Amino acid sequence: MTATTDPVARNEWIACGWLGQIRPGASHDTMVLGQPIRITRKAGDGYRIAEIGEDGAEGRELPVQTRYTCIFTTLGEPSRPLPEIAEFDEPDRIVVGCGNVGVNTSPYRLVENFLDMAHFSFIHVDTLGATDKTEVLAYRTEHRKDVDEIWAVDCTFFQPAASKAVKGGQMTRYQYRVMSPFSVMLYKNISEDSDRNDAICVFIQPLTETRCLAYMPMAIVDNENTAADIADFQQSIFLQDRVILENQRPALLPLDPTYELPTRADASSIAFRRWLKAMDIRFGIYEKQAA
Amino acid sequence: MPPDQWNAVALDSQIRASSSNPVIVNDYAVALWRSASGQVNAWEDRCPHRGMRLSLGFVEGEQLRCIYHGWGYAPDGQCRQIPAHPDLTPPKTICARRHAVERRYGLIWTNLADDPQAALPDLGADEGWVAVRSIFLTGGVQEARKAVAGDLAEWDGTVSDGDVVTLEMPDGTRLAAAFQPVDAGSTGVHFVARGPAATAEGRHGLARQVVQLRNRIENN
Repeated sequence: MTATTDPVARNEWIACGWLGQIRPGASHDTMVLGQPIRITRKAGDGYRIAEIGEDGAEGRELPVQTRYTCIFTTLGEPSRPLPEIAEFDEPDRIVVGCGNVGVNTSPYRLVENFLDMAHFSFIHVDTLGATDKTEVLAYRTEHRKDVDEIWAVDCTFFQPAASKAVKGGQMTRYQYRVMSPFSVMLYKNISEDSDRNDAICVFIQPLTETRCLAYMPMAIVDNENTAADIADFQQSIFLQDRVILENQRPALLPLDPTYELPTRADASSIAFRRWLKAMDIRFGIYEKQAA
Repeated sequence: MPPDQWNAVALDSQIRASSSNPVIVNDYAVALWRSASGQVNAWEDRCPHRGMRLSLGFVEGEQLRCIYHGWGYAPDGQCRQIPAHPDLTPPKTICARRHAVERRYGLIWTNLADDPQAALPDLGADEGWVAVRSIFLTGGVQEARKAVAGDLAEWDGTVSDGDVVTLEMPDGTRLAAAFQPVDAGSTGVHFVARGPAATAEGRHGLARQVVQLRNRIENN
């Protein structure tokens, strides 16, 4: 595809690489929102990002930020900054990057899958869910207008093995946070200390409307396991989700609530779709053919 | 609007009890599923909840359940259970899209029209037909029908060309080829037989000949 003209999508910060992916002096070609770009790592830790024109030459230079183990850029003029996630600054946490995973679907299907608890008992059997404990208890959703984010709070779900650090089943408490159409995270309470939550993010790089790379930086409270163990656990979970994500039809997200029918457990997805509709984003959205 | 037309989509014997299977007809994805008791259903391959393909679902008794969230659908299409809310009676609006389906001549047929009026192709009595073999040919359905009829014309017997191409063999065996338009570049051809050669043993010989037919057509 050619680069999207959708100003809403263009004005967001978008992950496009992970720290350590590119050697100093080397460059890496990729794509955001249909726009080919080249990321060049300078001698130190600095990066330069430029659009690649149809002639293959570097064109317009794009803004760069590095944070949460990722490299971010934008094609437009972002109205919101990168989100603040304080957990990544706490020195006693394990921060894990995980690289990226390719998923052939629209970015919003990825966000919704991440927000969804009802699939745990079917897709993540014996880890995040149990086949005999499928109920999703009521939770609240909020549109936090000061930061323009969607939150789902007071979420709980029974989990046989909630993380690498947990042995045995428990009711896990979650909070979900959608920071942009292309970034989502959760706070998950699994430690003894009820004030210390694992922070797990998904930053999505839409290559095109239906092809994405997902980055999963995490800031975890865990004194026993290595970063590699934690990454293994998370990737095994994510690969189970990928099978689902690549088999949803259409891949683009329908916003019409009569086309895909939600139930109470989908309150976060309902809030997310309303929010997307209100911001009038077009990139990656399913427009039903006129009958 | 899908055409009011019956297309064979599988050999009846290929669709096992308690299974859900993906089938494409005219670029449209169908979940062809059979309940534990043997009832066959042809539904849009899309869960009304979050678009998951129902051909990846699992059958439990007389219900098809979506693999993503375990929603259970009865053969009338109605959602009967939502595991996230065990005490909730699902609203009537949550209903899978069903299509007309028939079992005849050892084949499963579907018609995607909203209000099907067309009759199934008439091959005479329904009894005695046995499954031979399904093959897939490169190219659209017209091309495939012409190629199959052309090849069968070289066999011993009499060919009748129509929606279903049949070959009347000298020993009285009838071989029938029913066509499944998959998309512009692919056509399924489902072969069934009736008569003296349509035995458990004879079936294998016919299947081998059908594979040779496919090789001749594809190598042309």
